Amino acid sequence: MRCSDVQEVWDERRETAASRYDQIALHLRACAHCQALYKKNEGVAYCLSRLALVEPPIRLATNILEHLKSLKADGLATFASPLGLLRVAFRESGITFIALESEEKACDIRARIERRLRRPLRDADLPVRLRETLEAYFRTWSADEANIDISALTPFEQAALHQAALIPAGQTRSYGWIAVAIGRPHAARAVGQAMARNPVPLLYPCHRVTAADGNLHNYGYGTAMKRRILIMEGCRSYGRQA
Amino acid sequence: MTPSTARRLSLVPAPPRPSPFVPSVDAFERIVDEFQRRLYGFALRMTGSREDAEEIVQDAFVRAFRALGKMSDQQRTELRLQPWLYTIALNVTRNRLRGRRPSNVALDALSDPEALLNSAQEGPEQPEAIVTRAADMVLVEQALLRLPMHLRAAATLRFIEGRSHPEIAEILDQPIGTVKSHVHRAVRILRRILGPQLGRMTATREDREDDRAVF
Repeated sequence: MRCSDVQEVWDERRETAASRYDQIALHLRACAHCQALYKKNEGVAYCLSRLALVEPPIRLATNILEHLKSLKADGLATFASPLGLLRVAFRESGITFIALESEEKACDIRARIERRLRRPLRDADLPVRLRETLEAYFRTWSADEANIDISALTPFEQAALHQAALIPAGQTRSYGWIAVAIGRPHAARAVGQAMARNPVPLLYPCHRVTAADGNLHNYGYGTAMKRRILIMEGCRSYGRQA
Repeated sequence: MTPSTARRLSLVPAPPRPSPFVPSVDAFERIVDEFQRRLYGFALRMTGSREDAEEIVQDAFVRAFRALGKMSDQQRTELRLQPWLYTIALNVTRNRLRGRRPSNVALDALSDPEALLNSAQEGPEQPEAIVTRAADMVLVEQALLRLPMHLRAAATLRFIEGRSHPEIAEILDQPIGTVKSHVHRAVRILRRILGPQLGRMTATREDREDDRAVF
């Protein structure tokens, strides 16, 4: 074995085959230069291995886990609106859920939102940015989509809601209109499903979507509420009543 | 028919591969407990700063947690947790140190004398010897921090963390040959930096079995 070969494998000789190992040992016994080099290299490796093991701070693991818990949970806040008390779930990226005031008990609403978002909720104050988004809706009947997070929905559902947001306040459009607009002309029923699953009512105005004949059709909080919201937004005629 | 033949013929279901965890915070606690020490030690040697190391470990675990949440069950089952966590910690470290000049890398005294005094000691040692040894360890730490980051990573993983070449190759996402050559270059530079002191530092060292066989 040549010196260069021997020097190249010093870090591997413990993992090397016995026959090769013997060859290395043979060379080292005969070659003072390589022997000195091996000793120095071993010295370096030894010094590094002797560096004291520094224990992490005791609170490190706890801090990490607490941080993760706060990341995982969505905040839950209330917002007093002209339509009554709204329950608003949110995270850093925006509002993720709105529940309108209804007969439903607070704990049931909370459980329903957690099931739907598949994340736990923690009570929190509504960040100013999101509070302003809600206040702006009740002034202008439109919402800044940058402050709403519907990324958990399917691309189809997202497209349908984005399209619904284009319906001017005070007007209504049909499920079929949205289906055509998003390039799925035969998917009017699926649009209906997407509207029914809208996690952020009001801000995504699924209430402006009605049956083709103008019938209010359906609403998660009842057609009376749908009518009330449409009138609130200045809609004078939403077609024939059922 | 041997069990393995039977398995090949699908008569016996393959033993389920252990699915190590579900991405819940509680299950993740086990992972944090198991690996925080190793990742902290690694980050500390890479940065030379306790403060940086602490933040790097936090950041790395948060990233790991998020990534696990996005993986499919199969990806999670096939994941080799330890190298993967080292890789994340290394990336966080790189991002953190990027743009900092080497001289700005904090050199706070990692080997605080007390820790060294308390570290495992066989038999009583003279106070002067302890002080010399503490000073020596600081020299080694600082020598390591003078290496370029890729060489420091290779040397740390190999000699402090005791990882094998294939493992290091996986962590650094480099061919094994490159890893070996980085380890070599790191040792060559350290040999030069520590040069004169090396003999004294290793004088007390007990020769290991296999070394006696070689020399």
